[in-house]
Amino acid sequence: MKVNHTGPLEYSTEQNNLNILGFWIFIGAEIMLFATLFASYFTLVDRTAGGPTGAEIFEITPVLIETILLLTSSFTIGLAVHAMRLANKKAMLTFFAITLLLGLAFLGVEIYEFVHYVHVGAGLGTSAFTAILLTTLGTHGAHVTFGLFWGIFIMMQIKKRGLTPQTANKSFIFSLYWHFLDVVWIFIFSFVYLKGMM
Amino acid sequence: MKELFPKKQVVGFLFSLILTAVALLVYFLEMPFGVGMIVLLLTAFTQAGLQLVVFMHAGETKDKGAIYASIYYGMIIAILSILGTLLVMIWGYV
Amino acid sequence: MEFFERFAIPHPSPLIYASMVAIGLTVIAIIAGLTYFKKWGYLWREWLTTVDHKRIGIMYLFSALLMLFRGGVDAIMMRAQLAVPENTFLDAQHYNEVFTTHGVVMIIFMAMPFIMALMNFVVPLQIGARDVAFPRLNALSFWLFFMGAMLFNVSFVIGGSPDAGWTSYFPLAGNDLSTSVGTNYYMIAIQIAGLGTLMTGINFIATIFKMRAPGMTLMKMPMFTWASLITNVIIVFAFPVLTVALAMGTFDRLFGTHFFATTNGGMDMLWANLFWIWGHPEVYILILPAFGIYSEIIPTFAGRNLYGYKSMVFSMVIISLLSFLVWAHHFFTMGQGAFANSIFSITTMAIAVPTGIKIFNWLFTLWKGKIRITTPMLYSMLFIPIFTIGGVTGVMLGMSAADYQYHNTMFLVAHFHLVIIPGVVFAMLAGLTYWWPKMFGFMLNERLGKWAAWLVASGTIVAFFPMFISGLDGQARRMYTYSESTGFGIWNMLSFVGAGILAIGFVLIVYNIYYSTRYASRDIPADPWNARSLEWATPSPTPAYNFAITPEVDSRDAFWNAKRSKKSLFKGGYKDIHMPNNSGGPIIMSAIFFVLGFALIFSLWTVAIIAAVGIAGCLIYRSFEQDHGYHITADELKEMEDNNGGAK
Repeated sequence: MKVNHTGPLEYSTEQNNLNILGFWIFIGAEIMLFATLFASYFTLVDRTAGGPTGAEIFEITPVLIETILLLTSSFTIGLAVHAMRLANKKAMLTFFAITLLLGLAFLGVEIYEFVHYVHVGAGLGTSAFTAILLTTLGTHGAHVTFGLFWGIFIMMQIKKRGLTPQTANKSFIFSLYWHFLDVVWIFIFSFVYLKGMM
Repeated sequence: MKELFPKKQVVGFLFSLILTAVALLVYFLEMPFGVGMIVLLLTAFTQAGLQLVVFMHAGETKDKGAIYASIYYGMIIAILSILGTLLVMIWGYV
Repeated sequence: MEFFERFAIPHPSPLIYASMVAIGLTVIAIIAGLTYFKKWGYLWREWLTTVDHKRIGIMYLFSALLMLFRGGVDAIMMRAQLAVPENTFLDAQHYNEVFTTHGVVMIIFMAMPFIMALMNFVVPLQIGARDVAFPRLNALSFWLFFMGAMLFNVSFVIGGSPDAGWTSYFPLAGNDLSTSVGTNYYMIAIQIAGLGTLMTGINFIATIFKMRAPGMTLMKMPMFTWASLITNVIIVFAFPVLTVALAMGTFDRLFGTHFFATTNGGMDMLWANLFWIWGHPEVYILILPAFGIYSEIIPTFAGRNLYGYKSMVFSMVIISLLSFLVWAHHFFTMGQGAFANSIFSITTMAIAVPTGIKIFNWLFTLWKGKIRITTPMLYSMLFIPIFTIGGVTGVMLGMSAADYQYHNTMFLVAHFHLVIIPGVVFAMLAGLTYWWPKMFGFMLNERLGKWAAWLVASGTIVAFFPMFISGLDGQARRMYTYSESTGFGIWNMLSFVGAGILAIGFVLIVYNIYYSTRYASRDIPADPWNARSLEWATPSPTPAYNFAITPEVDSRDAFWNAKRSKKSLFKGGYKDIHMPNNSGGPIIMSAIFFVLGFALIFSLWTVAIIAAVGIAGCLIYRSFEQDHGYHITADELKEMEDNNGGAK
């Protein structure tokens, strides 16, 4: 396998470049996936069928905590990639671990939020609004959950195999995924929560 | 230690916190729905662009044409699908 | 016993029991045959685990042909039922199931794999690549499609087929009105196949962007590669919409949500909206590769360069954008008002413009050409007039005010069949005949091929033109019978005759494959059609590594120009070639998807959880696996190339 040592490690082989481009295209598809959820959400948002509305069930505190956690984790995964490019494995793994812990905390708050919704009578079957709300949030949350496991496996591989073209490539792609989830959350934060509470 | 916190990313992070704070204004201040939506649209899309360029390094390789094409194409189709859905599902009936 | 009752067919009939027996016997025969001839190892090593784009393409091809016959039998049954008034060959329920599975099978499990087959086989060869960007993902795409298709077909004998139409509109598709598990099959089988399609989309965009031969800039790509690129772009942005819509539909059916219900604030029209946001781009996903195939075949057999290359590319880019902006024309009558309908009416008519440009470009390519009428060319020539009639009636349907008259009548059925059959089916049969020698190293019989082409074309005309008339007279689609006083009888009888002619045509194609496999000469050149693009520069059948030496390209039609100026595209000596290893991962993971899908359909939660864990296990294994492939050394390569004649 030809390895090019002039640029960053994650771009050093032909396959690595392909993987990164392929993942960007996947992100394009993910944009459409979430756009469809948003389109459905905006269509169904007022169809509460006598159940609770967004303004009645949203709470600003957990939402704000989730936002800060995810924004910070997006920052730290950026730092992890930066450290990787400095070939500083220890710093990289530290930032990586911080990212995953922040992600875990985010998930914890989101679970609290879901429990709260169900508790106040906004379950999956309550109304079209609650269903699309929980589905949209749940799809994002499922992505975060998937990311947590994926991230752990990448960290294990870096620990075992060091920073190779393969592990660097995976880490970089993971960082793209994680930033993207942050972007999606920004839109959820703005157009589900803030718009709903406005 | 300092080398681990590049200026570009730190500034980017601070900027994203500021954008979040600005978006929060729609919650804490009384404002008409239209103004609030404009604020949200501006902050959300700026925030997305910030992530794309500063954190995701979208423009750093020679594939940037394909990458930006994919993202812009996705965004355009996404926005048109959302607007079209609203037109067909809600606005069209008024 | 109660546990097993759910698997029973809700509306059994002698036909279904006969099919059950036939399916059982076929499976036993295949297993026995493989065991008797000791072919299990061969099958596993050479096919089931392959990551070679050519073999994956061939597997797509055979799946597509198989599904063509499944869907074709459905079609014949429908036409037979409608051939005379008040017929009792099928009852209403059975008829509902048959038109539903006909639509789904033909679109999702026949047309899609057929275009995937040709894209898989041809695109890497046309751009001078060794394989696709992600060979293993490509295998996964195929197996997910295949398992989705099998799962869908299982519905026929276990639990009952879907019966809410291929569009599966809610609230009809909801639990209240579709009580059997049929619609669960629809939601989940298409979901699994759709995941595979999405992966293919990503794979081919990356391949075409990054793996072209040196010198082949985007504007020097062969037209089929361009068409495939645009198609895959549409796939990547359209299929996620289907994913979400199907997931929401599944939730409604399995988990008690009310997205598309008429209670609890649900909105049944939202399903139609989401379905067609995917559904209309899907139409162009099917037609663009077909346009690409015609754009390869027509210049080859007219002996001229493709007229208006740039306008061809430009029109496809425009189509790819517009295809996302017309979806509401599928439900003009839903009540969204004149303003919304007008917008979608205008975009719909606009999309006819780039399509018209393409038709004219093909006609100008033929102008003053030295035309050779071969089987692929014959299909292309038959395509242009029939497709134009189908297309023009589409513009009629696109006028929203007039659509109130045509909507859901046989007029619509005539329109889309007269677009899809000459557009997609003719193109696939043309492409199949055209690239067959590259795939298998011998040519299909021309005489039989031309007979089949004429039969298929005349069958299409006889079967679908009468529907224009009966449709304008008011015959609604999807009605299982009609009274004699309507006067539809004669038109439907004509359609039935046409369907019969079509069927004979398809049987002849199969016979041609059998006949040519037995008798055709194996001694054919690498370029039997005197064609123009790179896939003809490598031997037939093509070695696993495609090109011993990567070709260098300096113009459009580089191979054609190289032949005429007697230059070689292959410079330099043999170098080591890196090849991907075969893997059992894709088929195993897809098989677990099949189990997961089946368990979800029947709400067998324990099994579903076990299968989900299995899929996660496959992903984890893949994450930790280190597979660097293998190398064919320059010496081995030289030996192999000397044996098969070598690249020229």
